[in-house]
Amino acid sequence: MTMHETTPERVLGDDIVIAEGVKKWFGDFQALKGVTTRVKEREVVVIIGPSGSGKSTFIRCLNRLEAHQEGTIIIDGTELTNDLKNIEKIRSEVGMVFQQFNLFPHLTVMDNITLAPIWVRKTPKAEAEATAMELLERVGIPEQADKYPGQLSGGQQQRVAIARSLAMKPRIMLFDEPTSALDPEMIKEVLDVMKELAASGMTMLVVTHEMGFAREVADRVLFFDYGTIVEEGTPEHFFTNPQHDRTKLFLSQIL
Amino acid sequence: MTVEVREHQKTPLWRNATFLKWVAQIGVLIALLALFALLGREALKNFNQSGISFGWKWLSDPTGVDIREGIDTSPDSGVRALAVGMVNTLRVGISGIVAATVLGTLIGIGRLSKNWIVNKLSTIYIESIRNVPLLLQIFFWQAMALVLPQLTTDDVGTYWFKASNKGFGLAWFRTDGGFWPWMLFVVAGIVVGRYVSRYRHRIQEETGRITYPGLSWFATVIVFAAVGWFAWPILRILAPVWHGIASFFRALPPIVYPIVGAIASIGFAVLWIRNFFESRRTPAGFGKLTDDDWFRVIFAGFSGIALAIVSFVIGGFVLTTVGGDKATVAELIGRGIANVFDWFGRSFEVTSGSPIVGSRPEVIVKGAGFVNFSEGGVVMSVPFFAIWTGVTLYTASFIAEIVRGGILAVPKGQTEAAMALGLRRSQYLRLVILPQAFRIILPPMGNQYLNLMKNTSLGIAVAFPEIVQVGTTILNQTGQSLPVVLVWMGFFVTLSLGISAIVNYYNRKMMIVER
Ligand SMILES: Nc1ncnc2c1ncn2[C@@H]1O[C@H](COP(=O)(O)OP(=O)(O)OP(=O)(O)O)[C@@H](O)[C@H]1O
Ligand SMILES: [Mg+2]
Repeated sequence: MTMHETTPERVLGDDIVIAEGVKKWFGDFQALKGVTTRVKEREVVVIIGPSGSGKSTFIRCLNRLEAHQEGTIIIDGTELTNDLKNIEKIRSEVGMVFQQFNLFPHLTVMDNITLAPIWVRKTPKAEAEATAMELLERVGIPEQADKYPGQLSGGQQQRVAIARSLAMKPRIMLFDEPTSALDPEMIKEVLDVMKELAASGMTMLVVTHEMGFAREVADRVLFFDYGTIVEEGTPEHFFTNPQHDRTKLFLSQIL
Repeated sequence: MTVEVREHQKTPLWRNATFLKWVAQIGVLIALLALFALLGREALKNFNQSGISFGWKWLSDPTGVDIREGIDTSPDSGVRALAVGMVNTLRVGISGIVAATVLGTLIGIGRLSKNWIVNKLSTIYIESIRNVPLLLQIFFWQAMALVLPQLTTDDVGTYWFKASNKGFGLAWFRTDGGFWPWMLFVVAGIVVGRYVSRYRHRIQEETGRITYPGLSWFATVIVFAAVGWFAWPILRILAPVWHGIASFFRALPPIVYPIVGAIASIGFAVLWIRNFFESRRTPAGFGKLTDDDWFRVIFAGFSGIALAIVSFVIGGFVLTTVGGDKATVAELIGRGIANVFDWFGRSFEVTSGSPIVGSRPEVIVKGAGFVNFSEGGVVMSVPFFAIWTGVTLYTASFIAEIVRGGILAVPKGQTEAAMALGLRRSQYLRLVILPQAFRIILPPMGNQYLNLMKNTSLGIAVAFPEIVQVGTTILNQTGQSLPVVLVWMGFFVTLSLGISAIVNYYNRKMMIVER
């Protein structure tokens, strides 16, 4: 077992996400061509790559929003198969934050956050609401609890979405371009929440174009292209010494 | 450098937008009223020329109309006959709306199903039903029922279910002595249960202990109903109270009713105006009212006063009752209310029987070789079956498409977010997708309900005695075409407005709060 230190308070643990040769087709178009990687507990992995390279498809396979057709995915010791029981267990352990927030517009912020704990975890309402208030304080918007999503700014909505995922007490968080739909002045407030989450020891897989975030927080960066991981390494490696031509081209375009 | 400001000129009236808008509003209103007055006068003139005098006496005149099914098969007056027709229309309409909603929703969801067979069956249902004229379908169901076996003397007996070309007999319940006193127990159970469930809900909120508020409400009602089943005879002591209330209404001067009507209509207008002003109040202070706003306020005020006057006019209207004496509408209302309480009092005096008893359809010989169902159970006649099945299946096919569209209109991200949180399919459909689909579905659904109600008038094609069929019979007997048509229109307009009001109420409740 390897224990490698990053920051003093963040000690990486065992492998919690294992992907082995994951392949996925949409009709006859192959979106994932054999993705293999392992993520350790408390590790922060940033995924970058050009549009259409399969980044979203990959992390959506990790909680079965898409079903992979070949290869193996094991989350916290449970293999993702057609077994509904496994899927249910994994979904309640893996939180996901989307580019478009996907808050439930007919429910208040409070009800958005307490919905899954009450119905999936069977938490008493009072307890779920107390937890929700703590989470809203953590993401910095306790005063918005009784509003509806439509009444909040984009940055506030995305922070509610993060709180909603955290309410299920997940062990892994997936982020699919969480700041891409936000105005520049709101990006920072969401990134700050994500940084705090990383520092607290959450295992995170983040698809993003925010290179500042990658440099500051990531333990490892994966570069995707044409459905495979073309290159991986520390942020340092990517910013100073990328190996592949495609990686160099991509980084020159976005930096 | 200074900017020259030309002296503020007064806008001429013909260029003043505000003034023109008011002229237009009032102009349209006056034109409309004038049109109605003109049409009414012409119609009256034509009537008088044709020798038929336009009037309402036929409402209280005895009719020879026999109605094939309904709450009264040989009504003693025109108004009673129409009432039977209205109840028949409502029976088909309301039960049809409920059935079409359930069926349509299931088929709409079925059409989205990944199960190939369910999916194709739903599609075939929708495409075949939607594309055949409703009238043909009604004839089809009538034909289907008429080829069922005839009733013969061999069939005499009691059944749980019996299908024949005279209709379908089904075991059912009927009320018996003690029903109304027992109902009082049930209503008390509902009221008490509400408090119980509220109390338990509060406990659950405070302590987190699961207290099943809904279930305890239900249990309370059951307990009250069970106790009432045996204890209802003691409510006999209430009988004098009901009779007392009846005497009170009989003693009340009839002028009270139009006064109440007037107060209600003016009060309603005042309330509306107050709410309207309230809705224009923003945190920043009172918003400025536009001309349109003022027009609405003035219109509401006028309507309130007009309705108040109308209630006095109607209240003073003298009618001839079936008994032959003359009475004003206000007096008739007073008598009606008193009669209801007296009847209630009498039903509390009963001490034998059981609130509800089972009742099974029975086939008996009625006269020489003529075999038919007796009163027992519930019998669905062939015309009722044809019109009910026709409008229900037809409307369900449209509702299915509306439901499908509504569900598809909810963004895919909603399902994904709910799945990512670990909610099961049945949970996220109920908690996330359907509530959002509902607000898209509701307005077109209201239209389908209106259509179904109006389509029941096709019952005339299979001789189902709904309001149009009964009205036609009366019209043929008396020649009073215009009054009968007015009654039809008034009935359907009232019904439609009622449905619209309910739909709008829910629509407003379901509205999603936006910035
Ligand atoms: N449901 C689908 N049906 C068919 N093709 C799909 C589907 N989802 C994704 N694809 C295809 O799979 C490929 C990978 O898509 P994916 O969304 O994973 O890319 P991405 O790397 O996330 O790109 P972006 O940066 O634009 O979000 C794309 O070519 C896309 O067109
Ligand atoms: Mg993507």
